[in-house]
Amino acid sequence: MELLYGVFVGPFRDMLTAPTFLVEVLIGGIAAGLMYSLVALGFVLIFKASGVFNFAQGVMVLFAALTLVGLMERGVPIPFALALTMLIMVALAFAIERVVLRPLVNQEQIILFMATIGLNFFLEGFGELVWGSNVKKLDIGIPDSSFMVAGVQMNKLEMTAALTSAVLVAILAVFFQKTRVGRALRAVADDHEAALSIGIPLNTIWVVVWSVAGLVAIVAGIMWGAKSGVQFSLSLIALKALPVLILGGFTSVPGAIVGGLIIGVGEKLAEVYWGPLVGGAIENWFAYVMALTFLLFRPQGLFGERIIERV
Amino acid sequence: MIYREAGQFKTTYASDQAVFPIAQDRWVVLLLLLAAFVLPPLMANEYWLQAVLIPFLIYSLAAIGLNLLTGYAGQLSLGTGGFMAAGAYGAFKITTAFPGLNVLLVFVLSGVIAALVGVVFGVPSLRIKGFYLAVATLAAQFFLLWLFNKVAWFTNYASSGTITAPPRTVLGLMVTGPAATATARYLTALALVVLFAAVAKNLVRGRVGRSWMAIRDRDIAAEIIGVRPLRTKLLAFAISSFYCGVAGAELVFLYLGSVETLAFDINLSFLVLFMVIIGGLGSILGSFLGAAFIVLVPIFLTNVPEKIGLGLPVALQKQVELMVFGGLILFFLIVEPNGLARLWQITKEKLRLWPFPH
Amino acid sequence: MTPGGRFWDRLRFIEALETLDVDFSKLAFSSKEDVDEFYDEVDRLLQGTSRRWYFLVNYAGCTIAEDVWDHFGERGKHSNITHGLGTVRFGVSAPMRETIRARAMLAQFRANVFETREEALAALAELRKRRVVTGVSSTEGLLQVQDVAVRFGGIQALRGVSFEVQTGEIFSMIGPNGAGKTSMLNVISGFYRPERGRIVFKGEDRTNLKAYEVAELGVARTFQNVALFKGMSVLDNIMTGRLLKMRGSFLLDALWWGPARRQELEHRAAVERIIDFLEIEAIRKAPAGRLPYGLQKRVELARALAAEPTLLLLDEPMAGMNVEEKEDIARFILDINDEWGTTIILIEHDMGVVMDISSHVLVLDYGAKIAEGSPGEVRTDPAVVRAYLGEPQ
Repeated sequence: MELLYGVFVGPFRDMLTAPTFLVEVLIGGIAAGLMYSLVALGFVLIFKASGVFNFAQGVMVLFAALTLVGLMERGVPIPFALALTMLIMVALAFAIERVVLRPLVNQEQIILFMATIGLNFFLEGFGELVWGSNVKKLDIGIPDSSFMVAGVQMNKLEMTAALTSAVLVAILAVFFQKTRVGRALRAVADDHEAALSIGIPLNTIWVVVWSVAGLVAIVAGIMWGAKSGVQFSLSLIALKALPVLILGGFTSVPGAIVGGLIIGVGEKLAEVYWGPLVGGAIENWFAYVMALTFLLFRPQGLFGERIIERV
Repeated sequence: MIYREAGQFKTTYASDQAVFPIAQDRWVVLLLLLAAFVLPPLMANEYWLQAVLIPFLIYSLAAIGLNLLTGYAGQLSLGTGGFMAAGAYGAFKITTAFPGLNVLLVFVLSGVIAALVGVVFGVPSLRIKGFYLAVATLAAQFFLLWLFNKVAWFTNYASSGTITAPPRTVLGLMVTGPAATATARYLTALALVVLFAAVAKNLVRGRVGRSWMAIRDRDIAAEIIGVRPLRTKLLAFAISSFYCGVAGAELVFLYLGSVETLAFDINLSFLVLFMVIIGGLGSILGSFLGAAFIVLVPIFLTNVPEKIGLGLPVALQKQVELMVFGGLILFFLIVEPNGLARLWQITKEKLRLWPFPH
Repeated sequence: MTPGGRFWDRLRFIEALETLDVDFSKLAFSSKEDVDEFYDEVDRLLQGTSRRWYFLVNYAGCTIAEDVWDHFGERGKHSNITHGLGTVRFGVSAPMRETIRARAMLAQFRANVFETREEALAALAELRKRRVVTGVSSTEGLLQVQDVAVRFGGIQALRGVSFEVQTGEIFSMIGPNGAGKTSMLNVISGFYRPERGRIVFKGEDRTNLKAYEVAELGVARTFQNVALFKGMSVLDNIMTGRLLKMRGSFLLDALWWGPARRQELEHRAAVERIIDFLEIEAIRKAPAGRLPYGLQKRVELARALAAEPTLLLLDEPMAGMNVEEKEDIARFILDINDEWGTTIILIEHDMGVVMDISSHVLVLDYGAKIAEGSPGEVRTDPAVVRAYLGEPQ
């Protein structure tokens, strides 16, 4: 009885009796969600254009952050550090296309996925080898302080991250819909062979895509790194992005945002209001269970395309 | 080849379907088994038994489990750690509640518990395929570990949050607990692995294995032919989790002695997945080869660079290990997606023709 | 037989053929009363006998008034259902043939129209043979497809198609690409659920069964794009076909002992017989994914046969083959039909093959049935020629 009350009544009562706090939790959830979306965006880009589920996206975020911080620590001024990191990520994209994608071009998706797992571990080791494995502070000039808006407490850093994510998504959405390259990318995502047959250079496209994903990774790395320091566990964010992708569909840019928001808010609400019932730390698994439940009802996610099987 | 394989004709279907159709192969395998039971207890030192052979056997069992699910039935699973944990904690609860129960039976029961857990998390597999299923198994991984962490009942309310294997005997020989010798533990693990590997091989070459492979290769055509998808997939989850559960129990009882949930985290899931990929998806032999490989690489990296004068500080070693693992996965997937098992097959074929090139 | 009725000397029993010989030659049916008189006479006659009969009808010189056809069909339907096993017609004039076939299409019955009495008797013999083999009355047919329609998104793949497949015959579906032939097979296999219509198999409604349940009823098929299990050997692929016949205890399987082992060997023996029949002994251990295309198709056929099906669905089994290979497969199909009495539904584009080996042909175009009949009839049907075959030859 107590349990039923605790699950179905109590949390909602708590929400309603302290509305400011609820808003703060929601905002926190939205901010976290947008940051998940950033990482999920990288996945979506690559999957959309090359059909590869890039498990290494998380480690690319880490790698980008590590590189940036490493350069800054060595006294390189911020704008140069950023540019240099971008160059390195593009070089990485080239390398990945050459070494991983081209040899595996006709293999099944599951093989490609496992290859990106291998890539994940390789980059992790490599990044730590080059830049060291202790936690680094990433200072981009935005203080991690709170301020008040209409009686609701917000965090400057989180807000900046949220805003940046939103802007980035908008840019990417426009890029895909309106520009020539964007259209070419969509063509490639639809059908590699058809795209090839109308003269779209597949390899170049892939380098472009992985570079853009690299750029997204840099932004995500900066945001996450500034928030919680640049460390190994950043690559685990990739795992969190998976439920986001499930909800939003693997090929939808707006889906990554919506999915991220749902996961971010859902997670925060669950942790704050239901967490105490079971001793906390629900955040570890709530996102996955939410995604799983969702999948049972709609196997293709919110925005994904219905797969019609043909025999 | 060392012995002539030609000229051995099979006159009955039974002999044709034997696991080792060629007589000499059979002898070699029997000899190897005999050697495995006899030599290490006599010759190996404590280090080799404890740090190499026992973990190799345990990981092989887990790798067979994952191979059955992912390699044969085609259901990608990232929840191996969680299922192993289910077996470990299950074994702990059973043996502390029923101290008189033979520890081998405890292992089997823990496998059954893990199997039930596996079935529950396998239910979504009917509607969800491919990576989506991997996410579902991740839910299992994170949820199970959180559960064992949070709910103190699982650790019998120990303040340290760890579970420790109590001393147990088999046929009078102390097999678990601080007093058990490495040899005793090794022999137990070996016996269990040999038994379960034989069972797995039988399953895989018969009706059950074929329905798994049919689902893996073309699940729609398989259904049209009459394979019942949910039943087949759930059976795969059940059996695979059984094997992983027993391996998890062995991990605590026969290898580490005491363990906390961290030992079963996502890294373990990846580790076992690597064993299966490198060893060869869809091959029982491959599970062994992959496990051996994964167990030996860190040892290699610890000892060899010193010997050739390239000393590596410990911290660096971990990173190099990661790079080597990652690099090897990529290498195998590009060069031979079917892993070490296929490489072994190719080697045998080349040896048959040697010294001719083709 | 009551003497004096108008038809009494036109009705004759041929006991040996279980047939009622009906002579309409030079008769005229100009009113409903004529039709009623005839059928009343037939009913009286057949009520006296305790069983059902085939009808062999001679239409030479017969005329039937326009407005009487419906009534003819009505009474005929009732009479046939209660007393009949099937009707075979001969001596039909060209205009009457058109009418009969048109009505047959609409009302979903078998027209069975032939030129001479000999041909008609031969067809009758076929019908009788099949009925003996399976014990299924040939008016029912093994498979009835009733007004099946299927849609994907915006595309109407099938628009209310109906037909019937008799036991033991080779029934071909032809039509341009995209006509809906494979979709029809998918509906029959239980892979697609139709938005309307019924599938009646062995006398019962099977429309909403799942694919594996349909397989359990004895339906096997091959696929347009070969759907072999690439990771398994040829032998294992064919053994998979026998899965439905394997009852296994999982525990005994695990021990490879006793009944499990024996069963495995029995099925191996059965599979070897099929391997012999299809002449693929040499490749039985080869991985299915490495075989050339023609052999893959043959292995797929073997896998379908391994289930010992009552109804075999073949989707373009000869696609991509040269003349010799096609002849081989055609021979195999005929052998399967002959030796095992398997009913076969065949989708094929090679007209020569279709005309050669089929006993009945259905033509689809844009998801609708445009013609149906014996190969000869279909080949010269103007609608078919227009849609598919190009200029008449």
